[in-house]
Amino acid sequence: MRGRLASEWLTVRVQFVLAAFFVLAGIAKIADPPGFAHEIHNYGLVPGSLVNAMALILPWLEVITGVGLFLGIARRSAARILGILLIVFIIALGINLARKKPVDCGCFGTAKVQKTDAERLKDMKLVILRDVGLLLLAGQILYATKREERI
Amino acid sequence: MDAFLFLAVAVLAALFSNAFAGTERRLKWIGSYERAAAASPGAGPGVAKPTPGPEAVVTPSLGAPAGAKAFPPHPDKASADISGEDVMELHARKTVPFLDARRTSVYRDGHIAGARPFSVWESDVDEKVKAYFAEGTDQSAPIVVYCSGGTCEDSHMLAEKLYLVGFDNVLIYKDGYPDWIQRGLPVTKGSEP
Repeated sequence: MRGRLASEWLTVRVQFVLAAFFVLAGIAKIADPPGFAHEIHNYGLVPGSLVNAMALILPWLEVITGVGLFLGIARRSAARILGILLIVFIIALGINLARKKPVDCGCFGTAKVQKTDAERLKDMKLVILRDVGLLLLAGQILYATKREERI
Repeated sequence: MDAFLFLAVAVLAALFSNAFAGTERRLKWIGSYERAAAASPGAGPGVAKPTPGPEAVVTPSLGAPAGAKAFPPHPDKASADISGEDVMELHARKTVPFLDARRTSVYRDGHIAGARPFSVWESDVDEKVKAYFAEGTDQSAPIVVYCSGGTCEDSHMLAEKLYLVGFDNVLIYKDGYPDWIQRGLPVTKGSEP
C-alpha cells in the first residue's frame, strides 16, 4: 500500500491534477484583479491596506507554482506552497462559515451568477471538502518525494 | 530557497502585469477599503458644518417640487441610507447626481439612467472623486450612491471617499440596482450616463 502511494506513476498524475487546478484558478483571477480584491475583502479577514497586494500576488503564485509542479521543477517546494495556500483557504472559509457569513469562494474569479445566501453557504461547505481533497493530493506528493529532500 | 524563488517570480510577474493593465484591471498596490465608524461631530475636511436643529429652516434642493421631502446634510457621518421611494423622488428631480459604485463592466451592462460610473474597485476611483470635487458641485446637496444592494459594501466605501473630500450629504440607496430593476424604472446600457 505504502509502495503504491509513493509510486512515481501515481505522483506524476497527482502533480498534473493539482497543477492544472491551480494554474486554471490563477489565470481566472489574473484576468480580473479588482474582482478578486473584492472577494478577498468580503472575507473580512485581511486588513484593507493588504487586500490589493494579495489580489495581485496570490494568483501569480498559484500559476507559477502550478507550472513548476507540472514540469517537476522543485516539486516538493511547489507542493508545500500549494498545501499552505489550501490550508489558508480552508481556514478562511471555515471562519466565515462559523460566522454564517456567505462569501463567494473567489477560486476561479468573480462569480457571474447571483446566488442566495443559503446557496452560498452550501457552496462554501463543498469548497472546503474539495480543498481538503486537494490538500491530500499535495500531501501525497510530499510523502512520495520524501527521499528527494534527503539527497 | 525554492519557495522564495517562486514567491519572487510571482511578485515580479504581478508588478509587470499590473503596470501594463488597463484602468479597469489595474489595482493600486496599497488598498484603501477600511470602513470607518461614524465620525465624531466636527470630523472631516474643511470647516465643520453644524447639523440643522429642529427649528432650522431647511432650504429645499434645487429642482424639488413644493412640499417635497428634504434631505438635509449630515456632516457627522459619511452617509445615510434611503429607501427606494426616496430614490425615485430624487431621480425624478433630475438635478440630483447618481453615482454607481459597481464595476465598470457591470455598469455598462445596465445602470440607473443618468448615473455615472465610480467603481471603488478600480485604480482610478480616487482621481474620479477628486475630479468630481473639482467640478464645484454643492457639497451639501444630496448625492445618491448605489451598488448591488444586500450585503454589498461598495456604495458605503464610495460614500466614505466622497465624505473625505467634503461631501456631507451622500445618500445610499440601500437596496441598490436590483431593487431599481424590480420597480421597472429607467435604465441605460453602455458607457454613457
